Amino acid sequence: MTKPLLIALPKGRLEEELLPRLRGSAFELDPKALKSRRLRIPMADPQLSAILLKGADLPRYVAGGVAALGVVGSDILDETPVDLMELGDLDFGVCRMCLCAPDGTTLDQLLAKPHLRIATKFLMGTGRWLAQEGVTAELVPLQSSVELAPVLGLADAIVDLVQSGRTLQAHHLGVVTVLGRASARLVACRGTYLSEPDRIGPLARALAGLLKAAPAAAQG
Amino acid sequence: MPTHTPSFPDLLFGDAARLRRWETLLMAHLDRAGYRELHPSLVMRNPANPSTVRFFDGDQLVALRWDFTEALARTLVRRFQDPPPRLSYAGPVFRRPTNFWDPVERFEVGCENIQTDRDQRLEADRELAGLLMAVPALLGLEGCLLHIGHAALLRRPLEAEQVPAELALELARVLDRRAIHRAADLLAGHPAKDRLLAHAEILLSGPNGAGSLDDLARGPYGALLEAEAGQLRRVLERLSAHLPPGLTLRLDMGDLRGLSFYTGPTLRLWAPGAQRELAAGGRYDGLFPEMGRPWYAAGFCVRLTTLLELGDAKEDA
Repeated sequence: MTKPLLIALPKGRLEEELLPRLRGSAFELDPKALKSRRLRIPMADPQLSAILLKGADLPRYVAGGVAALGVVGSDILDETPVDLMELGDLDFGVCRMCLCAPDGTTLDQLLAKPHLRIATKFLMGTGRWLAQEGVTAELVPLQSSVELAPVLGLADAIVDLVQSGRTLQAHHLGVVTVLGRASARLVACRGTYLSEPDRIGPLARALAGLLKAAPAAAQG
Repeated sequence: MPTHTPSFPDLLFGDAARLRRWETLLMAHLDRAGYRELHPSLVMRNPANPSTVRFFDGDQLVALRWDFTEALARTLVRRFQDPPPRLSYAGPVFRRPTNFWDPVERFEVGCENIQTDRDQRLEADRELAGLLMAVPALLGLEGCLLHIGHAALLRRPLEAEQVPAELALELARVLDRRAIHRAADLLAGHPAKDRLLAHAEILLSGPNGAGSLDDLARGPYGALLEAEAGQLRRVLERLSAHLPPGLTLRLDMGDLRGLSFYTGPTLRLWAPGAQRELAAGGRYDGLFPEMGRPWYAAGFCVRLTTLLELGDAKEDA
């Protein structure tokens, strides 16, 4: 008998957009288990179950072969140097990765600073952008409420994900430049994907098709 | 990074015995086919690669052996005027992995076939594939997959389209992850973007046998890759005819790992449940010419560390 497959799904920002897309499919999560405190949730197909994880932990579970497939933001993937397969851009949870500073600040003004300080939780992505632009800056690592850093003088600017821009507005910050785009990605464990292609391949294609479809269509 | 991961694992009685037994079995297998053992030093000089384990010996920077193929090549060009045609090796290599939790010290057994005449290459490739196909049965493994790829399937179109070397490596890296959407971003503005992406779609269409070679022939670089496709078709036919029971052969045109090293057919052996390939190899005709010798070479290594990890999940085969 084949071992049931685990699929790692993200908690938080992507979760709200993801779960409605699974409804009515083999991947639908058991509603009772979902309301409980259980972190391992059965799916409609008894051969599948999901684990709900914080985005930062999710690539480790997939790359380590605990979960065969997963859904995670590309912003997280770009910060996590692990060996896994990235099978598709799911085109939801789309955000811009932006350099932001107090309203009215320009990029030239920031670059003219003798000691530019940028607060972010995206250290690798910001470092790559700085290298590409040939800019030297001090990176201030923060895990949350990054918008406070320029307001309270901890940093001159921040690099963060911007979806609607309302949080920036509330802190009188504006987008100075866009570093890139982030969205949900379907990932797979390299070993499982390549050593069990007949089992994982069709499942990955079905999940990608479902998640890329508009939520209304997915609900049928 | 602070970690308690066993980067340099101690092997206790069971694992030590398994490792010794597998090394003996595989080296005897290679010996029967005429492969003679060379044992290059554990210490290598001039380590350029930052993933190596480096240290100072006096005032000279050296590294623990990071790769048998390179270590052997350095020895051969220094010590031999004509290359020995068949070599084998066994022992540890030390290289920092992509996944930080994977071991740095890894145990390998492998072989190398060196030719001085380019016409000998096809036969050497077949010989190596045949040797590798026998490995699962020797180790008592069932349900293994042997993936056959070809490095030129991506390399030649990139060269034909004059894609800069740095971009080519980055493209190979994202396509090795099957991330074609990232390849589209990387190729933004490149005049051959549509052609290269259509080609990448074919390469990544999945390990589905010789049928995908027909797609390749109909694709944008069908004419350019006619020789490679023909070679792969012949290799698949030949190997299928001699396939041992319990082993499945697959064409995997999406195997793009090591694009800067491999120049021809590639081989990867997978076992169900393994998180890394059990064996990997292929043709690397660029290695010896870079060192000033006009020799052609191909080889493979069996990753015994992967086997030990499999042994953690199921009892010794």
